[in-house]
Amino acid sequence: MTIHKPMPAGQVGRSLPRLESREKVTGRADYVHNIRLPGMLIAKVARSTVAHGRIVSIDTSAARQVEGVFAVYTGEDIRKIIPEPYYGPAFHDQPILALGKVRHVGEPVAVALARDAHAAEQAAQLVEVVYEELPAVFDEVEAMDSKAIVHDVLKPAGTFPDLKHLHGKKNTNIALDFHLRRGDVDKAFAGAAHLFEHEFHTQQVMHTPLEPMVSLAEPTRDGLTIHTSSQSPSFVRIEIARLLGWPENRVQVKVPYLGGGFGAKLYIKLEALVAALALLTRRPVKWSLTMEEQFYTISKHATTFRIKSAVDAAGKITGRSCAVYWNGGAYADIGPRVTQKSGFTAPGPYDIENVAIESYSLYTNRPPAGALRGFGIPQLVWAYESHTDLIARELNIDPVEFRRMNILREGRPQATGTAMKDAAIDLVLEKLAERMNWSAPFDRGGGTVRRGRGVGIGFKASISPTTSVAFVNIYADGSCALYMSTVDMGQGSDTAMAQIVAEVLQVQAESVRVIHPDTDVTPYDMATLGSRSTFHMGNAVKLAAEDAKQKLEAMARSVGVPEGSNLETREIFKKKYGMQAGNVMGVGSYIPGYKSPDSVSGMSDNITPFWMIGGTGVEIEVDTETGHVKLTKLVNAADMGRPLNPRIVETQLSGAAIMQLGFTMFENMEFDAGQVTNASFADYKIPGIHDIPPAIENHIVLAEQGGGPFGAKGVGESATFGVSPAIANAIHDAVGVRLTDLPLTAESVLRAIRLKAGNPIGD
Amino acid sequence: MISFELAEPKTLNEAIALLDAEDPEVRPISGGTALMLMMKSGVFRPSRLVSLQKVEADYSRIERGSNGSLRIGAMASLSQVEHSDEVRRVAPVIEKTMRHLSNVRVRNVARLGGNLAHGDPHMDLPPVLSSLGAKAIVAGPSGQREILIEALFSGYYETVLKRDELITFVEVPPQAGWSSSYIKCTTRSADDWPALGIACSLRIEGGSIGDVRLMISAATEKLTRLVSTEKVLRGQKVNEATFERAGESAMAEAEVIGDSRGSASYKSELVRVYVRRALRQAGLGETQP
Repeated sequence: MTIHKPMPAGQVGRSLPRLESREKVTGRADYVHNIRLPGMLIAKVARSTVAHGRIVSIDTSAARQVEGVFAVYTGEDIRKIIPEPYYGPAFHDQPILALGKVRHVGEPVAVALARDAHAAEQAAQLVEVVYEELPAVFDEVEAMDSKAIVHDVLKPAGTFPDLKHLHGKKNTNIALDFHLRRGDVDKAFAGAAHLFEHEFHTQQVMHTPLEPMVSLAEPTRDGLTIHTSSQSPSFVRIEIARLLGWPENRVQVKVPYLGGGFGAKLYIKLEALVAALALLTRRPVKWSLTMEEQFYTISKHATTFRIKSAVDAAGKITGRSCAVYWNGGAYADIGPRVTQKSGFTAPGPYDIENVAIESYSLYTNRPPAGALRGFGIPQLVWAYESHTDLIARELNIDPVEFRRMNILREGRPQATGTAMKDAAIDLVLEKLAERMNWSAPFDRGGGTVRRGRGVGIGFKASISPTTSVAFVNIYADGSCALYMSTVDMGQGSDTAMAQIVAEVLQVQAESVRVIHPDTDVTPYDMATLGSRSTFHMGNAVKLAAEDAKQKLEAMARSVGVPEGSNLETREIFKKKYGMQAGNVMGVGSYIPGYKSPDSVSGMSDNITPFWMIGGTGVEIEVDTETGHVKLTKLVNAADMGRPLNPRIVETQLSGAAIMQLGFTMFENMEFDAGQVTNASFADYKIPGIHDIPPAIENHIVLAEQGGGPFGAKGVGESATFGVSPAIANAIHDAVGVRLTDLPLTAESVLRAIRLKAGNPIGD
Repeated sequence: MISFELAEPKTLNEAIALLDAEDPEVRPISGGTALMLMMKSGVFRPSRLVSLQKVEADYSRIERGSNGSLRIGAMASLSQVEHSDEVRRVAPVIEKTMRHLSNVRVRNVARLGGNLAHGDPHMDLPPVLSSLGAKAIVAGPSGQREILIEALFSGYYETVLKRDELITFVEVPPQAGWSSSYIKCTTRSADDWPALGIACSLRIEGGSIGDVRLMISAATEKLTRLVSTEKVLRGQKVNEATFERAGESAMAEAEVIGDSRGSASYKSELVRVYVRRALRQAGLGETQP
């Protein structure tokens, strides 16, 4: 489905199959898991068994006795290499190995090293730790005023200027509070024709990349080389250099392909420990997590969202207040960013005069939460699109029509005051209505199978301001390579970026070689996250390719090649250097404009360089005797500007929607006193092929992003936005019950049906 | 290096001799799909595994008797069972069950005997085979014995098999005049372990239920025959009212357990609905010739 006209060179907008697909399906692609180095030691960690406790003693003597064990280390040993061993992107709050205290079950406390993984594992199991248990807090709302305090003192990293005021704050679990006030929401409530108030919850879930996290550090003569399955090689280098007090150039970070990331492999995860161990042992050290261990490493925020709206007699939303509580777990990771960057979109893509937002990032004694495909947006859309649907139903207005009446249109200010630009929210909604055949009569089923349909739309701001740098190197024979630190974790960035280079240089995209992240070779990039690469790195790559093209043209002129000549590039190099020699190096560096929100009002007139828009419509069947919900149709629509590669875009849309389908229907980290009781694929289920709806459509609306490379912007998360509320809205449509907590299990559906029928199921 | 011994005997008798009645660290391994998970998670650390992969080929054969019975070697893979003409002719319900049993990768590797001996109450074949009246032929140091599949399980992941006994064959009696069904319910992903499995076989005589075998699995601690509900069914007309009563009876009879797939009270509701649906499927389905 190509609706955009092709670009002149025919490279951008082409549905080129992924460049690496053959390598991957034939098992030849490189992954960190496959790397074995001479003398390499395997690390296995001993993990905390309590949710919150003071460490009384750690006895490693039995562990050291295991045959083949090289060493067993605790947090105090790490201090010999790194005196202040705390890391994190927003707060320097996470110890490499626990020091003095543990804050969640599964926190690394000690590490065993051996040539053999089984010996290391057995030794790790023999580490004996005595804890003095402390009261723990697990719920995000309770954490607001809990007596249990997870961190004695807040330690913002200083990376983000708007966190500086939190430095040294004590006796609180609030890592960040974001407030926005626009107009007078109290006045709007007082004068409302209708008031609606609801509370929604989302559960803690995990990214489940099929390649679990893995990092390998190798000591070099005066530095370190780290091979890691990371989405942010540049950040890893900076953070490791900071921890060690080294210049950046002593740390080399290399990233091959990733077997999925989804936000799990961001910032710094296993790298700090392997770096310290490599320096302690002077040996290469590899640490590979099991799938089970990933559940204790990073997850997606559970949330509570209280939303209240004022609506006038004509059906116009006049005021909305939002209070969002983000369960960040024991370490902040990027949670405070999620709280703010997503928080300001909490009222939804609606034109509302009076808005109040409170968004709280909370520490609890659960495993840490960070970014997961949508950076908090799916949790918000879940609430505001469920709420929107409830209002429409209550007012007896068609849910699509109610959205049309209130939608945020081009040029109108969003909650922060930033005017909407190149945000085709209306086109996404209309595309859904069209493909769902919304205005036509709908078969509602009968007997024990009732049918329903629903939609949900959402939007997201880009994470800003962030920088990307790219090099395009033209070799003397005219072939070229792209050097960049964007990580291809399955999203197809290698292919899309090659298409940008090819479009500028007028070559075939297949002929562009993409050099994978290696901080000794490839330039800085903030990270592969938040659907930022297409826009930010795409611009950097385009600038680099244009720079290379201009330099090549200048070289041609300098050797007397007339303007408009079709002389081959290799001949230009030969004329210049007398033989096949030399390079033309194009450099591109990009950072968009941005204005940080006012610290008091939360307002900004330039909050984001671009908006991502996504929506989903579903048709479902509900079995009224069992509560089972079956999706019969799933329609996704998104605005990603001009698609660089329509086929890859479609797979991004369907992939995101299916991932969110799991989070909607059944994925759920279950806890008992802070212990995840289903931390394995046997008991934590993700969607399989039989869970995929029989009909899926993915639509690209006709749009263009101003300032985007060839009018493009990111799309990796957009189809996650609308899925959860669309399904809950369809359940309401089918059987008249409203679910406000995710996941929407068959049991919760049946319980609601039976409660409504006056025949409730017992506990 | 943490090591264990892997024995690969060529005969069944050698395999039995390598097992140990007293030592829980010595275990037989056939397909290994369940055992490898237990080893990986550290639940089981063997001192010796006795692989059955190389025992006599007789134990992987599937044969149909002249009377319409079926004899399946315990080392037959689940996909062998799935694709066997003999199995389909005697008991088409087995083939239908197989299509949704785990996934094709597991079915290619897992063996029938291991599937039963594992004692996992969430398996699909124990309810199906027991509703067909099947029995296991078991060999040990002191010879052979027969155990009805419905009597094989003594608890959660527990069987009546001794540590040095092996299932050699499963025998399914002739099914002429019977009609069978199996339905299971998953409450998370479609490929999740079932929250409930209901298998039933009906012998219908002149529009009434002459005989019935009704089994419940997954929701209960172990595979269980719903004896009281069978009594409710015997002699009754094959109609919706009968199925309805049976559903109510099963809901009262079954001792279901709550877990992450659903609370006990929810699963009880499922029992009522699924027993009715399974009976409807078998009652309205064709009987075996």
